[in-house]
Amino acid sequence: MSSSSPEDLRKWRLPRGRHGLPRELVTRSQRERLLAAVVRVTAAKGYEATTVADILEEAGVGRESFYELFDDKRDCMLAAHAILVENLEGKVRAAYAEPGPWVDRIRDALGAALDWFAADPAAARFTLVELAAVGPVSRARFQAAFGSFVELLDEGLDDGPGPELPRATTLAVSATLARVYEEVVLGRSADLPSLLPDLTYELLVPFLGEEAARTEQRRAAAG
Amino acid sequence: MSSVLAPSTPIDIGEQSQRRRIIEAMIESCAEKTYAATTITDIVGGARISRTTFYKRFADKRDCFDATVDSCLLELQEAAATAHSPGDPPPDAVRKATVGMLELLASKPAMAQLLSGEAVSVDPAVVERYRRLLIPALEGLWDAAGEPKTSHVDPGLSFARAQLLIFNEIAAGRSDALLALLPEIVYLAVAPFAGHDEAIQQARLAEQSAPDASPSGVE
Repeated sequence: MSSSSPEDLRKWRLPRGRHGLPRELVTRSQRERLLAAVVRVTAAKGYEATTVADILEEAGVGRESFYELFDDKRDCMLAAHAILVENLEGKVRAAYAEPGPWVDRIRDALGAALDWFAADPAAARFTLVELAAVGPVSRARFQAAFGSFVELLDEGLDDGPGPELPRATTLAVSATLARVYEEVVLGRSADLPSLLPDLTYELLVPFLGEEAARTEQRRAAAG
Repeated sequence: MSSVLAPSTPIDIGEQSQRRRIIEAMIESCAEKTYAATTITDIVGGARISRTTFYKRFADKRDCFDATVDSCLLELQEAAATAHSPGDPPPDAVRKATVGMLELLASKPAMAQLLSGEAVSVDPAVVERYRRLLIPALEGLWDAAGEPKTSHVDPGLSFARAQLLIFNEIAAGRSDALLALLPEIVYLAVAPFAGHDEAIQQARLAEQSAPDASPSGVE
């Protein structure tokens, strides 16, 4: 599956009427339109209140096509969620993989995550808040995503400071997610990038101690 | 409250036990299928009571959920209170209280799920309510010892982080591994009030007292 950023999901449109495009491309377009629609509708109405009819209307896709692609509303939502998380992970991974000192890389990875959530408040709300309404499967989804971010940070820790706690990277992921979740619930996703200096501090304290983390906080604030 | 003459005591006990059963049923159903999917039918079925009895005790599902959260919090507070003694210096008291609470949550995964997961997703106001309850209680320990306030890490964020870590373990079905999180949770509980160095020290002490996290053990 190709990874599509939330922006891509939104832009994907087919020309109206008879277009003579190959069927495969039409199906792919329909799928992406439905995925983009479920994100927007669910973020606006909430998962419970969202109906398949809402998604169809938003996507401009027929009911029959929907059921060829997805089992139900939940299936469609989980598919969209997987794409969004994969996309976020790709952005964070790319920032963390840039050459440079570890403190800069982890700050930039944090910045990439904050920017991602700020860029599309609907996607942010969908990914973090509405997921819980899907039922127990959301817990497994959350856990899998959490685990992959911890793994991602662990992989790049080779040239980083030796943390004084066995699971400092787990603490780092928890700081980011906890703060982002709170801001998204309160409808303040757009302001997330401004939290970079404070969160840089919170993230780095377990690795560097308070004084060195304060220095990095000031550096992040200075840009 | 109850008069010696009035036969109110047995009725009270009956009410208390019904209330208890309703709360237990709510905890179990939320763990099994989430709060959103839980119906009054699930609760009355689990509690073995009639629908009428349910509505005598609670206005609706949300009212019952709030009472359930309160009941769990009370249990958590009791576990924290009995885990430390008044003579403990603040960092030790916080560590011991944290160990006590985490042990309780590890022994009751459904309750841990409710407090760390459901309470967050149902309404952020629920979390705000117990954050306001717990953080000043911790802060009070340092105030009582006359320690100067310094700005370290954010206590509200630390609380949310601890909650998230617990939720993550429960989501993975690893409630038995919850105690392996002791160093991190103790760190988060101490750091906002006493700073990184003291928090690391307490986390190490907690690590020593933590049981072996490997799944093998007593059957």
